[in-house]
Amino acid sequence: MGVVCVYTFPVPEGKSGQQVVDSLQRQLELLGAVKTANFSVDCETYQSNNPTGAAQRILHVLHNSEQPASCFAILDNGTTLVADVLFEVLVAKLTQSKSGKDGYYERRKGLKIESKGPRFELSDFIVKIGSVSMASNFKGILVEVEYCPCAIPGECWELMKEMMQSFMGTVVENPPMAVKNKKDQFYTPSDTVAQYLEHFNNFRKAVVNQSPR
Amino acid sequence: MTLRNNRESNGTSIVYDEWLAQTLIQLEHIPSANNFNNTIALTVFNGSKPQSALHCVTMSILPLSMSECLAKSAQKIDFGEEDEGIEGKQTSEEGTTEKEESAFQPSLWPWDSVRNKLKTSLTEIGVLLDVLNIAKEKKYMAIVQVQQDTSEPKSALQLLAKKKGLNTAASVLISGAERLKRSQEEKGGVSSHDKFHIELLKLRQNWRLKKVGNSIIAGSRFWQGGTFEVTKTTSLPSDQEGSTAQQYPLQVVIPSELEGSSYLQLEIKSVPDSMDLMSVTLQVPDGFGRTPLNAHWQSRLDTAQNVLFCKELFAQLAREAVQLKSNVPHVVVSNQIITNIFPGVQLSIVLCHSTGKGDKKTGPHSGKMDHKHVLEHSLHQLLREVHHRTLHLAAPHPVTAPFGMSKRRRLAGPTAMSRSDLKEMSDSETLLEQIIKQARHEVLRQRTMSVIDRLAGEIPDPQIMAHWSCLNSPLQSNVKIIITSNGYEGMRVTWQSLDLEIGVDGILVTTKDRRTLKLSFQEKEVEDIIRWQVSQHHIALSQNLARLIGWQVLSYNGCSGVGEMEGFACASSIQLVAPNNDRLQLVAPNNDRLQLVAPYNDRMLSVRSGPTSGLHVFLKIDSSGNLDPSLSSLVDPKWLNLGGTFRELDLEQIEGRNLATKLELIMAMLI
Repeated sequence: MGVVCVYTFPVPEGKSGQQVVDSLQRQLELLGAVKTANFSVDCETYQSNNPTGAAQRILHVLHNSEQPASCFAILDNGTTLVADVLFEVLVAKLTQSKSGKDGYYERRKGLKIESKGPRFELSDFIVKIGSVSMASNFKGILVEVEYCPCAIPGECWELMKEMMQSFMGTVVENPPMAVKNKKDQFYTPSDTVAQYLEHFNNFRKAVVNQSPR
Repeated sequence: MTLRNNRESNGTSIVYDEWLAQTLIQLEHIPSANNFNNTIALTVFNGSKPQSALHCVTMSILPLSMSECLAKSAQKIDFGEEDEGIEGKQTSEEGTTEKEESAFQPSLWPWDSVRNKLKTSLTEIGVLLDVLNIAKEKKYMAIVQVQQDTSEPKSALQLLAKKKGLNTAASVLISGAERLKRSQEEKGGVSSHDKFHIELLKLRQNWRLKKVGNSIIAGSRFWQGGTFEVTKTTSLPSDQEGSTAQQYPLQVVIPSELEGSSYLQLEIKSVPDSMDLMSVTLQVPDGFGRTPLNAHWQSRLDTAQNVLFCKELFAQLAREAVQLKSNVPHVVVSNQIITNIFPGVQLSIVLCHSTGKGDKKTGPHSGKMDHKHVLEHSLHQLLREVHHRTLHLAAPHPVTAPFGMSKRRRLAGPTAMSRSDLKEMSDSETLLEQIIKQARHEVLRQRTMSVIDRLAGEIPDPQIMAHWSCLNSPLQSNVKIIITSNGYEGMRVTWQSLDLEIGVDGILVTTKDRRTLKLSFQEKEVEDIIRWQVSQHHIALSQNLARLIGWQVLSYNGCSGVGEMEGFACASSIQLVAPNNDRLQLVAPNNDRLQLVAPYNDRMLSVRSGPTSGLHVFLKIDSSGNLDPSLSSLVDPKWLNLGGTFRELDLEQIEGRNLATKLELIMAMLI
């Protein structure tokens, strides 16, 4: 498991998301990357149903195609659980309403968000360009870069920054929060997923901000 | 027309209507003129008072014509109970116009019901006619009597049949009675009935049994036709008072396919023509003893299970052999699988199953066949492992869920294993691949062993010792080869040592100076390496001996590029010079003044050893080629003795067991 950095790539005015993705793809192929497969990261949100009126807890369930056997569950306070994919079944049970009573959790519809796109391999790096969509509305572009040999962010951040700047430009200045906090510790897949969740939440907030207009 | 109501009435409507009806009927019967409708004014007088004035319309109704009359009458014919159309018959007789209309069913002409009746009667008559025709003519069908039970023509046959029937019935009854009698008469505390159950208990402890109907079936995992059955001993013991060692209350019936015993035979043989995979000879399994029918159920079940196991194993291997896509094709011929593991080396796996019913094959073939028992055993172990893995799930798991994922797969989720990790985990080797690997390792190891042993015998001079590591796996073994001179083992520096790591495809050699070489499966390569090391040892030995004795090493060349070329590797050489030869001696010839002369003792030894050229020792006999001492470029006197004529020493003639002793002798003599 290497170190992963996820960044939003801004879509300039007048261009469509697809065009930006294509241009990034071309740049990568010029660098010598090879397309291996497609990837997808998706997130579903659940809200707890507290009849007593206690504080509502929010639970995010994410999947990452890079870890196909796992399912990540993140609470609103940051606690992360890495589980087998069967965890979804458990959540579904919790969401079911049985014998008249509502389930413990309820699914917040319309908030399913996912990032899908091609996956490239460039010797030790794996680059993924994902188009983020929520209910088939295009929201933005997320670029994920993984450096496989190293698992400690502090040691390879500079190298990654250089590599990313070569095709992404000045978007990459500061490391993501998850990476910054773990400069000297081992980087885990749950950190990747936390980065994704942060970006997804930003995208969701952007929708809310725009809709009153 | 006036009608007088002669009757005094109160004028109730019903009575009145009745009277009116009657009057109208009377009117009907009055013959009237032809077809004219008149309006008649009727004044009904009740008494003398006019009660009501009625206006009636007269209609002349022609009397019914002949057909109408007939129709009406035909209606009255009662054709049976099915009549429904004549319901209104009664009312029509009373008949007002309205009632007459209702008597007829709408849209029916009067003859319809009649027609239907006639039709049915026609069909019935037709049937009757047919029956009569059949009975009379007997052309296409005949009326035949139902067979009565024919009585036996001969009473004697009847008698015999009855007797036979009675006999069989009697024998069944007698045997049943005897059984009961026997069970009742059993002496001793435990009746055979109980013994059966005790045996059954023991059977259940070792085998899985299932009750199906009247019989008890032993479980088998491999799909096998036929069932094992457990039955009670019913045959009479030949000697009731005798020992019961041969008689067991419980008997096992084994399906016919598993009769006898079987084993898997693995053979590795070298085939001169590696392409010749097609001409395989079908192995004839030699007969060997089968378990007699009266043997204890344990041994019979054991052999049966063994047969089942071997069959399953062979079936699995055959399946893999056909499915595996490898560089070397595998050949599956009835009960044999043949594959080339190295060019020129063939592995054959044969399933030998003898039912024991055939004749014993004469002439033991076992001498020719070289079974690899160890590999056969490991084949068994591999299949056992597969079974174990499928049957036993790693803890923790609920008792009711015996199947599930392996522990690694279960942990894959929480540890967030990536796709490549999962893929690695899912790749597993087939049985055939595993056994081929083991066979290859076995071949390599055998060959290496034989080479080392042979060389150790052939080369007497330095001793070759091989230390095989006691920890090894079916796929890897290690051996350390040490070459020493007998008597001089104390000089560890002179030891040449080699580490051989024998794997599946080739051998990895690590020399003393930590160089690694990769060898293929050829035997000659191992031999070459050992010979080369032997030659190196000679020179190393000379060097150390010289150091000990006091001779000086002028040059040591581990790989000399001069002289004749070796078949492989390279020769090494060393030049030694006797001590005390670098000091100029002060000699006074003829009592003259002292003069410095070149040292007299200028003995030099040159040893050269190569793997193919062998060992040669040369001695300098004269210094004709010596350099001139007055040469100014010569600073060090040691360079003065480089030239000279060398003559080879015949080592055979020098006393000494090996080179070390010989050299020591020489050097000591020449000091």
